[in-house]
Amino acid sequence: MENFSNLIITPDNIPDINKDSFNLLDKKYKTILYIRFVFVLLLVIAGAVLFFILTEEDLPILIVGSVFSVVALLLIYSALIIYFGFPKKGYLIRENDISFQRGLIFFTSTSVPFNRIQHVEVSQGILAKIFKLSSLKIYTAGGSASDLSIPGLPKETAGKLKDFLSEKISRHE
Amino acid sequence: MSKTDLSKPTRQSIKGMALIFVQGIRKSVKIFWPLLLALLLNEKIRENEMIMILSGVVIFVLLVAHSILYYLNFFFYLKNDEFILKKGYLRKKILSIPLDRIQSVNTKQNLFQQLLNVVSLEIDTAGSVGKELKIHALDKLFAIELQNVLQLQKPKATAEQEEKAVLPEEHEKVILKLSPSDLLRIGISENHLRTGLIILVFGNQIYQNIADLFKNKAEEYSNEVVDYMANSGWTIVVVFILFFLVASVLFSLFRTLFKYFDFKLIKKNETYRIESGLINKRKVIISHSKVQQLDWETGPLKKIFGIYHLVFKQAVSKQTKKSQLVDAPGCLSGHLKLLRADLFGEEVLVNEPKVYSNNFYFRRLWILSGWIPAIVAVPFFYDIWVFWVAAAGWILASAGYSFLILKKRYFRINNEQIRVSQGAISHKWKQMRLFKIQSVEFKQSVFQKRRALASLKLMNAAGTITIPYIDELMAKQIYNYLIYHAETSEKRWM
Repeated sequence: MENFSNLIITPDNIPDINKDSFNLLDKKYKTILYIRFVFVLLLVIAGAVLFFILTEEDLPILIVGSVFSVVALLLIYSALIIYFGFPKKGYLIRENDISFQRGLIFFTSTSVPFNRIQHVEVSQGILAKIFKLSSLKIYTAGGSASDLSIPGLPKETAGKLKDFLSEKISRHE
Repeated sequence: MSKTDLSKPTRQSIKGMALIFVQGIRKSVKIFWPLLLALLLNEKIRENEMIMILSGVVIFVLLVAHSILYYLNFFFYLKNDEFILKKGYLRKKILSIPLDRIQSVNTKQNLFQQLLNVVSLEIDTAGSVGKELKIHALDKLFAIELQNVLQLQKPKATAEQEEKAVLPEEHEKVILKLSPSDLLRIGISENHLRTGLIILVFGNQIYQNIADLFKNKAEEYSNEVVDYMANSGWTIVVVFILFFLVASVLFSLFRTLFKYFDFKLIKKNETYRIESGLINKRKVIISHSKVQQLDWETGPLKKIFGIYHLVFKQAVSKQTKKSQLVDAPGCLSGHLKLLRADLFGEEVLVNEPKVYSNNFYFRRLWILSGWIPAIVAVPFFYDIWVFWVAAAGWILASAGYSFLILKKRYFRINNEQIRVSQGAISHKWKQMRLFKIQSVEFKQSVFQKRRALASLKLMNAAGTITIPYIDELMAKQIYNYLIYHAETSEKRWM
């Protein structure tokens, strides 16, 4: 690690993004995630039932078994991810940038400086509407890889954030 | 000095009507060709000439009406430093783009446009207006003038500067010019595997389309083929591979010839101009400041000739999701050095150490590309002994491939710029100025965390640069620095 100071001369006062200072998403968003999960679960079960009704030939038990266990494992995995992963999701607004972090097993943290934001959008799905939640979408230039979407915000918070960011953008123009 | 007044709404060349007409035909054929084919093959309809002629006339009249209306309702002009384009007769559309948001202005000429002696002009933006800013037919001289005005007229430029900018051929310098023998070398050294895959995919698509139409016939036919292949064994495989190779090489050669015929890369002031093409002529102008990232690549065959394929990456427009490819094949190392010095300065990132990805990157690649596919296939093929041999071969091959990837995966960074190297069999470099960053991503899986490793993604307007599996502390430091740098830099990213 000693050689790193040769690569970039870092000013001492570069602020560090602290994982623990992030704001958590609204608890109701967790409920939305569970509802989505149950929906997928029902779809999978319906698909499996249909498949067995429609297939006449007997499939080798090994193939059926491995497909089943893989699907079951995936479902258990995604349920656990929702439960344990939710506290990892969060956003952080600093003086000059906005960040979003998520991921239990694959942790990801993305930061967008205010002076790179093209426009900001608040959107709301059907489930979110019922729970009075919104997502904040932040668009930068170029492909969608660099865009940021923060779900599970109370509607008023999302609106306030949008106004705050819009004001910041116009200042940078 | 210019005769044309761009502040008044202007129509495109009257020849555009013919072009819109032809395009209308092409579009409808593209959409309805299965239907047309089905109609032509249906004997009952073919016999009834009246219906054929009548529907032909109706379609013709509709297309002519469309062409005239489209032409009459298509205007463009400049107003308050904005380029405005009005189009549409049923659904009217007004597109406007501030001049300083224009990424590049390109002209193109296909065969039909060459016959009419007009060019089409496309305006690329980073924003959401996208590819709709296209004028189909302009007289060549007018197009060049418009291109210059749009490209070089800065919003607050004084009249004098404008005039200066419009003056043609000032400090023009041809940097790279490709002769037919250069093209031959480039064509031969293309990635034939990729070309082969393109042929396979397209061939397969065409085959599928035909198969859908002649289902029964095709089944008979393919059964014959299968029988034949089963009986003649290895000879057919060898012949097939040979044919495939020859086809790939020929295809590469023709593609190169058509795309890069009479290729010129010209430098003028702070812009590059690229001209090339045999049938579809393209002419692209890009200014230095709009290059988000420079990519260059060489492969085993290219190395023999000492050539690099270079791509100037510009901002991607949101709508098309892909940027106009501004590239220069067949650069020698001298050209590369020159262009790099132009864009990034001389002798940059030479003394900084190469930072390689950690060896665990190899392990991840090997597990993902070698072991997991092999293990997934076990339940399906476990009772065939050839499978186990093939699986072992696959795992070994993927180990070799992953090792090649690891060996080429490194980056050099300083306070202003980064250069990333990657590749397996071919070798590719990407370089960018750090203030062009749009957003930064820090990624760490639990497996990486255990070993204090992490990956970074640097997003600019042209794409993403990934730095996998480096030291966690270093990744954090670079992450923090990049955000800080983007926030404090006064330079505009476009």
